[in-house]
Amino acid sequence: MSADQQNRGDGKPVLQVKDLVTSFQVGTNRAVAVNGVTFDVYEGETLGIVGESGSGKSVTSLSILRLVPDPPGHIDGGQILFEGQDLLQLSYAQMRKVRGAKIAMIFQEPMSSLNPVMKIGAQVAETLQVHSKLSKSEARERAVEVLDAVGIPDARARLDHYPHQFSGGMRQRVMIAMALIAKPKILIADEPTTALDVTIQAQILELMKGLQDDRPETAIILITHDLAVVAETCDRVLVMYGGKVQEVAPIEQLFEDPRHPYTQGLLGSIPDPKHKGEPLPTIPGNVPHILELPVGACRFHSRCPIAEERCRTTEPALTSVGHEHSVRCHLVADGIDTFARMREHAAAPRTEEVR
Amino acid sequence: MSLTSPTPTRTETLLSIRGLKVHFPVYGGVLRRKVGAVKAVDGIDLEVRRGETIGLVGESGSGKTTVGRAIINVLKPMYPDVELDGSIEVHSRDGLVQDVNGLGRARMNAFRPKIQMVFQDPFSSLNPRMTVAQLIGRPLELHTKLTRDERRERVESLLERVGLQRSYAERFPHEFSGGQRQRIGIARALSTRPEIIVADEPVSALDVSVQAQVVNLMQELARDFDLSYVFIAHDLSIVYHISDRIAVMYLGNVVEIGSAEQVYMRPRHPYTRALVSAVPHPDPKQRGRQRIRLEGDIPTPMNKPSGCGFRTRCPIAKASCADLPPEVQTVEVGHTVACPHWREMQ
Amino acid sequence: MGTYFARRMLLMIPTFIGITMLVFAITRFVPGGPIDQMMLKLQEASMESGTDIGGSTMEIPEASLAALKERFGLDLPMWQGYLHWLWDVVRLDLGTSFKFNEPVLDVIVNRFPISIYFGLIGFALAYVVCIPLGVLKAVRHGSKLDVTSSLLIFAGYSIPGWALGAVLLVFLGGQLELVPLGGFRPEGWADMDFWEKVRGQAYHTILPVLAYAAGSFATLTILMKNSLMENLGQDFVRTAFAKGLPERKVIFGHALRNSLIPICTGLGHAIGLIMAGSYLIEKVFNINGIGYLGYNSIVERDYAVVMGVLVINTVLILLGNILSDFLYVLVDPRIRFE
Ligand SMILES: Nc1ncnc2c1ncn2[C@@H]1O[C@H](COP(=O)(O)OP(=O)(O)OP(=O)(O)O)[C@@H](O)[C@H]1O
Ligand SMILES: Nc1ncnc2c1ncn2[C@@H]1O[C@H](COP(=O)(O)OP(=O)(O)OP(=O)(O)O)[C@@H](O)[C@H]1O
Ligand code: SF4
Ligand SMILES: [Mg+2]
Ligand SMILES: [Mg+2]
Repeated sequence: MSADQQNRGDGKPVLQVKDLVTSFQVGTNRAVAVNGVTFDVYEGETLGIVGESGSGKSVTSLSILRLVPDPPGHIDGGQILFEGQDLLQLSYAQMRKVRGAKIAMIFQEPMSSLNPVMKIGAQVAETLQVHSKLSKSEARERAVEVLDAVGIPDARARLDHYPHQFSGGMRQRVMIAMALIAKPKILIADEPTTALDVTIQAQILELMKGLQDDRPETAIILITHDLAVVAETCDRVLVMYGGKVQEVAPIEQLFEDPRHPYTQGLLGSIPDPKHKGEPLPTIPGNVPHILELPVGACRFHSRCPIAEERCRTTEPALTSVGHEHSVRCHLVADGIDTFARMREHAAAPRTEEVR
Repeated sequence: MSLTSPTPTRTETLLSIRGLKVHFPVYGGVLRRKVGAVKAVDGIDLEVRRGETIGLVGESGSGKTTVGRAIINVLKPMYPDVELDGSIEVHSRDGLVQDVNGLGRARMNAFRPKIQMVFQDPFSSLNPRMTVAQLIGRPLELHTKLTRDERRERVESLLERVGLQRSYAERFPHEFSGGQRQRIGIARALSTRPEIIVADEPVSALDVSVQAQVVNLMQELARDFDLSYVFIAHDLSIVYHISDRIAVMYLGNVVEIGSAEQVYMRPRHPYTRALVSAVPHPDPKQRGRQRIRLEGDIPTPMNKPSGCGFRTRCPIAKASCADLPPEVQTVEVGHTVACPHWREMQ
Repeated sequence: MGTYFARRMLLMIPTFIGITMLVFAITRFVPGGPIDQMMLKLQEASMESGTDIGGSTMEIPEASLAALKERFGLDLPMWQGYLHWLWDVVRLDLGTSFKFNEPVLDVIVNRFPISIYFGLIGFALAYVVCIPLGVLKAVRHGSKLDVTSSLLIFAGYSIPGWALGAVLLVFLGGQLELVPLGGFRPEGWADMDFWEKVRGQAYHTILPVLAYAAGSFATLTILMKNSLMENLGQDFVRTAFAKGLPERKVIFGHALRNSLIPICTGLGHAIGLIMAGSYLIEKVFNINGIGYLGYNSIVERDYAVVMGVLVINTVLILLGNILSDFLYVLVDPRIRFE
């Protein structure tokens, strides 16, 4: 992984997301799903975005490609800088030239993300056909190459097969081939392995890592709720909660020295084989509904074991706590050791309550 | 809270499954004759002891859910033409033994309260038009002679027991989050004071932070009510955490069974070894570790390979593996493997 | 797959027998059958001529009664009668109409082209109008066009086809005299030249076809719209957008193809139904088609014709269903009937 770190050290961001705000119409209310998200993606790195359901991971990634369904959704503000342009200011036709060609995306559901009545070969080649002047047969040849590269056995013969003739893992490989065929600069993968078996997941993650061996400048944004997957694949991690970035850190840093109580809670609730059978540390309560998220306060305070009065009344800012490590927490900003606080709290007798 | 000892010494048999087969016939031809069968479960032996949690893991389609359904005996009513074979014996405390495999409705009624199920999807397994009180009270109505007030009292104390407020009894399922719904599902399963609960992926649909809450709750309940769980899941780290023993399934067969330590820390079957090595670790420092890669796709249970079902993906398969189903070998006490060649796997 | 369709064909036989047997039994048990009607006619005849055949209560001689019964096949027990009838059907002999006094097959075949003519035109019109309209409504969901067309369509849907036909006929035919008041063809057909024929036929066609198709407009358009809207929300459409395809290609190349599946498969059913004609519409427009024939033969207890129309319609609908399955296989690669 040292090569990745080197790339990261170059400090050349390919993508800069600034103060992104995306909201949805939910009944008569406007629900802000992504609320001022800022982050950079560097050339050749794998950036993980983790968080529980509803934290805004998918909406963030869809916003980058401007694929948020509008209505009910709308990108209300912010900038997405890519190759010197703000993607949010591009015309529809200009944006089309970015999608698939420069920034490609694969989705969680390999079953439903492929067109069921279209042959695999045509679907893979299509990406290339819209973005280049290649003939149909040339595009097909390239499709054979990429399908082969992502490990589809006997790729040429399978061009004329339909998606239902492939297993889940194979379909995800097809999705990856489709995303890679135009040699994008950034690959966004939204939970690419969540629907797959563990053994197949390992293969797909390996395939994605292998990508950067061939084309070291490609950046990957990997969205997942599984911290173990992040640990296996990412160089940097963004932890999201309630539509906001709560912590950003290089991978080793995040796992060794998580600062945000939420990150600590998430990491703590993963079963540790050394403590088999012991009660797992938990984050109290449930993920609040998007409309019930605290505003003008720390988004996490309703579940935070060590929340203080100020957490309920003012919103913390994302504060740098070290090299490339930022945290959105009042206590951390004041230099308080949240980890020790959490431990004290856990040791104190408590009644587990469920909201 | 006391810790469960890592190597449990539970001996009293509660459920013994022998040679269980569940085949779904496949029809074809002009006259719709039976032309084959989906061998969802193809001859498994499994023993569940009183008070233990047995984890059931395996690739999707390996037959885990089907085993669970066979245990709660709902296959016949769901699929009338299903072919069942083998036995599922329930051992009562008074020493009586009854085979419930495919048992008719009337005679099964005596066993229903003892064997309950918790489902994966807390969203679809609760009838949206019933209040929580009705949902939890329903099995009580069917299987006990409690009066209305007694039932109500039981419902409310159950709610409290699974960490919900008594006042939630009058609410409807859609008013709750996923984790809360799963608690309701657990309360419903608990209502008849079961001895064994089949939990089919009970935490898979939940958020990471909520998974831990539900796992803790289930462990507490097991201790307090001396419950046995058949805990079906695909997340091996959770299965290891909660289980006393683990059975690994592949294509309708149990390929390895042993204590949680034996299976997770010292797996012997080539499939289990690949499976365990594929589990991602929440520790970036362990990234470079060796993985056992499996080539190829899982065959379907409709056209199972001859002999050992795993041989098409097995890294150490021999020509002889195609001949006969692999013989079960004992690795050490309580740890068996359905592979004669396991020693070659290094 | 071949075996599947072979099985479907074979299954037609018991279905056909079941339906026809039921109706056959009904014709036997419902009073007012051919014999009763014969007697009624005889009675009328005798009353008009003033001759009293057999006192106040009318009697038919045993011998002629038996002859009558034999003629209508009523001398046999029901199951034998049915088997005879079935055997005749297999030999394409549908019996003789008691009203027209000619072979049922001829009676039907004479009217069949008329029903097919209106049926097919109505059917084609519905598809030609509804599919583009449905697509447009889906793509511009919520627009003025969508809302107004929905209003129109539902108005058309809530008024039965024959009533709409009648209203239009009174207004356009009676008041404005834009279209003829009915009939299949203009008078003096034989003497017209080609263009006159075309014009004449078109005038006679337009209203009945509208009436035929009005009902299916709503269902078909809404089916098309909903099907496309549903597919536009699918994950694979998002994938197509993410590839950078222009919207037109996403809609027509990806979403539309999937949403045509239910439309195509409906085709078979629709053909079967439309061929069967519609009594009320044919009645309003004074068209002598199958629907009209079928209805009248029931009223007049012309059972041979009732059964004949039933045979034709049953076979058409059953074949239509198989055609639907076949189209399904054709348009959806996922479907493989075993
Ligand atoms: N089409 C939509 N209409 C209304 N609300 C939406 C829509 N899409 C997303 N949201 C809301 O936006 C919020 C963020 O959703 P998002 O899909 O980004 O979550 P996520 O972090 O990807 O979660 P998951 O792990 O469940 O995929 C959620 O609260 C969700 O309810
Ligand atoms: N009613 C049925 N008819 C035909 N085949 C069935 C039926 N039910 C299950 N199967 C098949 O039996 C096999 C085992 O299914 P089962 O649901 O038990 O697997 P599982 O191990 O629970 O998988 P998952 O992890 O995906 O839940 C699968 O191949 C499935 O397709
Ligand atoms: S029996 Fe043969 S094929 Fe099966 S797991 Fe063992 S070595 Fe592999
Ligand atoms: Mg998501
Ligand atoms: Mg299952």
